[in-house]
Parts: sequence; C-alpha cells; structure tokens
Amino acid sequence: MLKSVKNEQMKKNILIIDNSEIIRNLLTDYLDDLGYGIEMAVNGQEGIEMALSRDYDLVFCDIHMPKKNGYQVYCEVTEKKPQLPFIMTDSLPDDLADKAVDKGAFACLAKPFSLDQIEEVLRDIFKRD
Amino acid sequence: MSFQKFINSLKLRTKFMLPISVLVISSVFAISSYLIKSQNENMRTDLEDKGIMMLKIVSTSAESGVLFESEYELNELLERVTQFNDITYAAIFRPDNSLLAEAGIWDDSNIESISPFIDEDIIDEKNIDSLVIGKNGKEFLKMSHDITTLINTLNREILGIRAGNDIKNQSQVVETIGKLIIVISLENLNKSIYESKKTAIVITLIVLLLTIIMIAFFIDLVISPIKQLVSVAEKVKMGDLSQKADLNQSDEIGHLADTFDNMVESLRETRDEIEEYNRNLEQKIIERTLELEEVQVQLIQSEKLSAIGQLAAGVAHELNNPLGGILGYSQFALEKMKKSSENASEPIDHSKFIRYLTDIETQARRCKTIVQNLLRFSRSSKSTDFRRVDMNAVVEDTCTFVEHQLYMNQIELELILSDKLPQIQGDAGQLQQVFTNLIINAMHASPQESVIKIATRFSQSVGEFAGAIEIIVSDKGSGISTENIKKIFEPFFTTKQVGKGTGLGLSVSYGIIKEHGGEIRVDSTVDEGSTFTVILPVQNIVESPINQVSTENQ
Ligand SMILES: Nc1ncnc2c1ncn2[C@@H]1O[C@H](COP(=O)(O)OP(=O)(O)O)[C@@H](O)[C@H]1O
Ligand SMILES: [Mg+2]
Repeated sequence: MLKSVKNEQMKKNILIIDNSEIIRNLLTDYLDDLGYGIEMAVNGQEGIEMALSRDYDLVFCDIHMPKKNGYQVYCEVTEKKPQLPFIMTDSLPDDLADKAVDKGAFACLAKPFSLDQIEEVLRDIFKRD
Repeated sequence: MSFQKFINSLKLRTKFMLPISVLVISSVFAISSYLIKSQNENMRTDLEDKGIMMLKIVSTSAESGVLFESEYELNELLERVTQFNDITYAAIFRPDNSLLAEAGIWDDSNIESISPFIDEDIIDEKNIDSLVIGKNGKEFLKMSHDITTLINTLNREILGIRAGNDIKNQSQVVETIGKLIIVISLENLNKSIYESKKTAIVITLIVLLLTIIMIAFFIDLVISPIKQLVSVAEKVKMGDLSQKADLNQSDEIGHLADTFDNMVESLRETRDEIEEYNRNLEQKIIERTLELEEVQVQLIQSEKLSAIGQLAAGVAHELNNPLGGILGYSQFALEKMKKSSENASEPIDHSKFIRYLTDIETQARRCKTIVQNLLRFSRSSKSTDFRRVDMNAVVEDTCTFVEHQLYMNQIELELILSDKLPQIQGDAGQLQQVFTNLIINAMHASPQESVIKIATRFSQSVGEFAGAIEIIVSDKGSGISTENIKKIFEPFFTTKQVGKGTGLGLSVSYGIIKEHGGEIRVDSTVDEGSTFTVILPVQNIVESPINQVSTENQ
C-alpha cells in the first residue's frame, strides 16, 4: 500500500515545523519512508517564510515554538494560502490548538502521537484529492 | 571647693582624727601655757617678796655696821645673805657709790653697772631695780634698798630745848647712809619653768597619743561594720545575691545593714523570678522556633509546589517530545522489522536501525533527566544538601522547566553561559528553585516577544566577595517601583493576583542564597525592566572542567 501511494500519485511535499529535533527527525524518517517529499523548519518564523515561499501539500505544525507559535503560523499562512491543509501537533491540551482547529486546521495530534494516528490523518487528507 | 574635695578624699579615720587631734593639742597647749604663765608669775612674786624681806632685814641689820664702817661685820652679814638660795650677790655701797662690802659672785661684776645711785630713776616702790641679763644669758633680778639711820639732830635739839622749844617738836632725820644691793638669780625659776614646759609637752603628747588610740579604736568600731557592708555590697554587685551583712547592731549602721540585707533578699527573689520567667521564655522561644521552622519548611515547599504547578505544563511538554520520539521510533522500527521478516525483499538497513535505537536511548535518557530534575526540585528537604555544583548546569536544568512557559508567552530566553565557571558548594535543588522563581517573575513582568537574558560569569571580586559566581537574570519588563523594591523580599509581598503569585518566591530565594553565603541584588527601572543578580561566593574553587559534569539533558 505504501508503494501504491508512491507510484500512483505525484510526490506530495510536506513541511514540518517543529522546534523539537527528535520530532522533526521522526516525522522525516517516517514520511520519507512513506514516499513524501519533506522539508523542515525549526521555528514558527522560519516555518511561515518557507510555507509562503514554496508549495506544499501539507504542513505539520507544532503549537509551542519560539518566535511565533503554531497558531500564529497557521493564521499567517492560511491568510495567504487558505487551501493549504495544516495538521497541528501539541504536547498539551491547549486553547491555541483548539482555536486552530476551529479556524479550519485539519486535525490536531496530541504528543506523544503514534504513527498509526499519523497514517490515519494522512489517509483522510489525501483521500479527498 | 578644692578644700571640700580634699576633705572628701580623706578616709573616714583621717576625717575624725584630724580635727580631734588639733582640738586636743590646742586645748592642752592653752591650758599648760596658762598654768606655766601663772606659775611663772607666782614664783617670781615669791622670789621678789623674799628678796624684799631679805633687803629689809639685812638693811636694818647692816645699819650699825654701815654707821661704823665695820667691814668685817658687814662682810659677815652679806656672806650669810648670799647663802640663801638664789641670792648670788650682795653688796653695800656708800652714798658716794663707793663699795663698802660685798659677798657672792656677780659674774658681770662691773660694779658700775649696778651702782645704786647712778640710775635712781628706775627704782620702783618694790625696790626692784631691773632685770639684768648676765654675760652668759642668765637672768638676774637686781634689787636695792636704802640703809637708813635715825639721826637725832643732837646739837640742834639740845639747842632747841634750851631755846625753849617743845621737846615734842624735836625732829628726827632719816638719813640714808648706804645702799644694799642684792642680785637674785632667776636660774632656778627659769629651770623649773623649763621643766614645766617639758612636762606640759610630754603630757600633751601622751594625751594626743591616747586620743589617737582611742579614736582609732572607736573608729574601727564604726568603720569595720561599714567595711563589712561594703565588701558584701561588692560581692552583691558581682552577682552573688546569697550574701548577707548580718551585723546585728542596733545603731544606725545596724539599721543600714538590715535594710541592705532586706534589699538583697528582695533582689534575689526578683532575680529568681526573672530567671524562672526567662527559662520559661526560652522554652517557649525554642518551641516557637521549631514551629516556625516547620512553617518555614512548609512555606518553602508550598512555594515550590506553586512553582511546579506553574511549570507542570512545561515539564509535560518537555517530556512529551522525547516520549513522542521514543514511541514513534520504536513503532517505526518494529514495523520495519516485521515487514522484513515477512518479506525477504526488504532487508534491514542496519545503519538506520542503529540510528533509530540510538535516538530512542537518547530520548529515554532525556526523559529520565527531566523526571529526576523534577523530583530533585520538588523534594522537600529540611536541611540543605551541599555538594559540588556547576551553576551552568543548574541554570540549564531550570530552563528546561520554564522554557515551555516562556514559549507560551512568546518570550525568548537568551543564555550567555561562561565556560570558565568554577564549581561551588551548593544545593542544586534549592538553587534551581531560586532561578525558577527569578525566571518566572521575569516572565510575569515581561510583555510578549521580549527577551529574558540569563548570564553566568565568574568574577575575581564582587563587592565583599573575593571570587564569586554571578548569575544575572534580566528582563525588559514592567520594572519595580522604588516603593515596592524595598518590600519584594518580604514574605507574602506580591503584586500578582491570587493563583499567580504567593509572594514567597523572593523571600524563599533570599533565604536560600543567604544560606549559600551569597546575596541577591536588584536593579530595576519602571517600564524598562529589572535585573536580579545572584552572587554566590566560590569558597574553595574546585579545579575541574565544567564539561566533566553531566549535562545529559541537552
Ligand atoms: N523581574 C521582576 N519584574 C517586576 N517585578 C518583579 C520582578 N520580580 C519580582 N517582582 C515583584 O516582586 C514581587 C514579589 O515576588 P515574589 O517574592 O517572587 O512573589 P510572587 O512572584 O509570588 O509575587 C512580585 O509580586 C513582583 O511585584
Ligand atoms: Mg515569584
């Protein structure tokens, strides 16, 4: 099935915005293995710049980050690119994550999340296309 | 004034002795000089009377001798006269001042000088001629008496009768036919007066001596109880209230001693009461101190718990990232393993697996560190646990707690850690509590998007410290008003709403830093920000590179 994603579709590009290195690495390893194209940003500001300057099919965005939190990133990016789907990740139940979801973010995954959860969300997102 | 001072400086003994001695001496002197004087006069009068008598008798007896110029008879007479005591010389002169007869020695025997008819004018009715001072200073009394005879103017008498004159009218003429002179030596008189004087002096001395002895004795009677009283008072002064004078005297001093004893007695009672009271007080203070210490420990703990409460989210956040890594990588690795065991066409990439497992291990360790850190921080410790501490590590550990909170508030943390810090002796958990509080305070005061700087540095000398580590926490926040800055270290002083501040953070921090021998300084300007500087003295610099200390968590 993984193979089928790779083969059937043109390669999807995903932006990962998280200040936690281990989470970035994990997502990169996992999503790369699933056949996605991966790029990373280490804080909110950088994430905004990258999301706006290039085309992505999906953004993984952490809520708690230095230099602009995930909610701000979501707001600023979707203002320009309202169609870009966001999956928020959050290590704590938080107002900001809820707000992002209320505003239209695709989902919010609570850390520590399992890979099944990611797979499920990915499936939901890309099924629509 | 100075006389008064002099009198006051005298001892009691001298004070009594001096006037009494003066009194005794002057009265004995007055009495004896009066007595001696009257004795002198009496003796002198006696002597003069004797002399006059002698003069009268002798001059009568000498009448015939003089008349007939019987030198032999006169010499005999005078010889006998000079045998009387004190009469040293006797002489008879003719009216023409020529010597008729003499006896005895007149050492100043210049006859002219005693010639009776030369200086008649000084002869008084007592016939005392004059006081003569002899050659060798001896005193003499010179007395003279006329030698007279009754002459019947015989021819004329007869003629008168014959001329028919009444016989009654016949006159007898007293004619001075010579002068008797005696010289009385005053030597004996003077000698006896001298003796009297000597006796008077001796008596005076004896009386004086007796007086002094008496006074000394009586004064001792007066003084010795006073002395005893003084020595008892001296001991009482040194704090020995068991002393008693116990004079058993019924005079004023005895009364004084009784009063004194009573006073000491009541003093002792009072002191005992006070001591008893003090003992109770001490006991109470110890109890209260213990209670207070208990409360203090509770306060520290509750302040800590409040900090932990505020930081719990941050800790969870810190834990969730590595946990997420662990969970994700182990799932990932597991799936891959399963797949490769099912499907031989997908071989295991060992180098990747090593990396996954290494990451898992690293993240698990990080979790462990965070949990340990939390436990160390929250542990309630009554006594400080001093060990070698690397302040950079303490600051970094603290940051792991607060980082999340700061992210949430969009506040950046800037660490400027010196790599030349020596280790110090300290309680890492407590020090962490201090910095947690300082950072949270800075965070509460800071607006969004501002920066909190934490710097560490080693200085050879800061204020009174020779060699100290400074940890500087500065914010660009609201600052503290001059009015409040005096109170911020007071327990329960807070400007924050309930739930956000306990008012204990800085007071607890202050206590902790004091216990480390250091101090906390504040520098703050309203609307510009605050800088809290913690100074920790480096007592004995531990020579060890910082790198050696584990900083696994970063
Ligand atoms: N960095 C700071 N900036 C401004 N005010 C501060 C700062 N640090 C402390 N304060 C003031 O000192 C008070 C006492 O602080 P603290 O003892 O830690 O108690 P709490 O933080 O619970 O109020 C605070 O309420 C605040 O008014
Ligand atoms: Mg505080």
